[in-house]
Amino acid sequence: MADRIILTIGTKKGVFVAEAAKSRRKYALRGPFGPGVPVYATLVDTRGTPRIYASSCNPFFGMKVLRSTDLGKSFKETKSGPAFPKDDGRALANIWALEMGAAKRELLCGVEPAALFRSRDGGDSWEMVTGISNHDHARQWQPGGGGLCMHTIVRDGRRLHLGISTGGHYLSEDGGETFHAANKGVGAGFAPDLYPEFGQCVHKIARHGDAPGRLYMQNHGGWANWTGPGGPRPDIGVLRSDDSGHTWRSIAKGLPSDFGFPILVHPHNADTVYVVPLDPETRSCPGSAPAVWRSENGGNSWSRLSRGLPKTDSYFTILRDGMDVDHLKTPALYFGTTTGQLWIGREGGEQWDCLFDSLPPINNVKVAVV
Amino acid sequence: MRPPAIIIHIPGPLRVFCSGAAQLPLAAQTVRDALRILEQSQPAFYRNVCDETGTLRRHLNVFVNSDNIRDLDGIDTMLSPGDVVTILPAVSGG
Repeated sequence: MADRIILTIGTKKGVFVAEAAKSRRKYALRGPFGPGVPVYATLVDTRGTPRIYASSCNPFFGMKVLRSTDLGKSFKETKSGPAFPKDDGRALANIWALEMGAAKRELLCGVEPAALFRSRDGGDSWEMVTGISNHDHARQWQPGGGGLCMHTIVRDGRRLHLGISTGGHYLSEDGGETFHAANKGVGAGFAPDLYPEFGQCVHKIARHGDAPGRLYMQNHGGWANWTGPGGPRPDIGVLRSDDSGHTWRSIAKGLPSDFGFPILVHPHNADTVYVVPLDPETRSCPGSAPAVWRSENGGNSWSRLSRGLPKTDSYFTILRDGMDVDHLKTPALYFGTTTGQLWIGREGGEQWDCLFDSLPPINNVKVAVV
Repeated sequence: MRPPAIIIHIPGPLRVFCSGAAQLPLAAQTVRDALRILEQSQPAFYRNVCDETGTLRRHLNVFVNSDNIRDLDGIDTMLSPGDVVTILPAVSGG
């Protein structure tokens, strides 16, 4: 079969799947699946026969994992979902992240309250990863605006990077057995101590396979006008690490705001990184004019990409998992909004078009070429 | 003393988790006992009704006949022969 673009769109009212040929001219929409139930995490597992996974976070009946083996034409609930051990005392409140694990059919799942689960059979059974879920810090983490969530899982060989809001960045260098907080240079603008060991409100972390040790982070910025102890805390929101997350430095200079949620790396160029700066109060783009910002030199300078996007009067938010990029030779970006639009940024974000304009509020967008 | 025979009425969205049954007959002294029996006999259904700590999910209402157990003795509400226990999502208008 010729390459197909598969987009998974997790919304407030279920998961949708959009499919297009490589030309990306026209996308056919399917869904909603798990209708009426919020979906915060999706995954297109491209190992072997592609499988699509989606969390289904039912406020009445609890958290489920949905799986499709036919490219999103139908979904079924897996045999079980992640659950804390009965004597743990915690109860699952949301599923925030689904990622491929190291082994075939292995999945990793980040949840609220912040904890990590692993499945070795494609989502039918789950075990809690105790090294982080029962970490000494775990009972001290506090919920951010979206709850106490483990929302980011980034694998890099034996290293495993986790983003927790608000817990910060945690790093395992032994394949997920043990973890330590790695937040040197990551600010917590909302705390008296700007640089605590842990407790930061990390929003998203991204890496590229061609740049060993390099990571990009969207942290909770927006503290440039802070008037509390220590004075203003500018530029703590967009960060870079070149030592596998042990230390971080700001790359926010040149952005209109250092607050935002998603951060992406170009699939073929580790120096090209994308963010969506937001006004920290309204959580919409500055001047009510949506734009994605791109750096082509690893964060030294930034340029604005907005051709085709509304020029004013737009107050949507793009959430932490609401933006992704495909891996075709000339990649396209995609973002979904809290007002239900799905946008495509052709030519690496140079030209934007609205693919669907009346979906439910969008939490999550993932794309894969299959 | 033999526990009273009662009926659990299954809401439509959850019947798939108990082989399509609309009602489950069982014998239980209290709502808590009934849930404990369901945990053993209908584990997939039970997981939809109670979380992993055993707590009834927050947005579900349980009625014994026409009374919400919230207005009785909660999950320790005593059951009588022929009682119908209904589990409903707490959906309201507006």
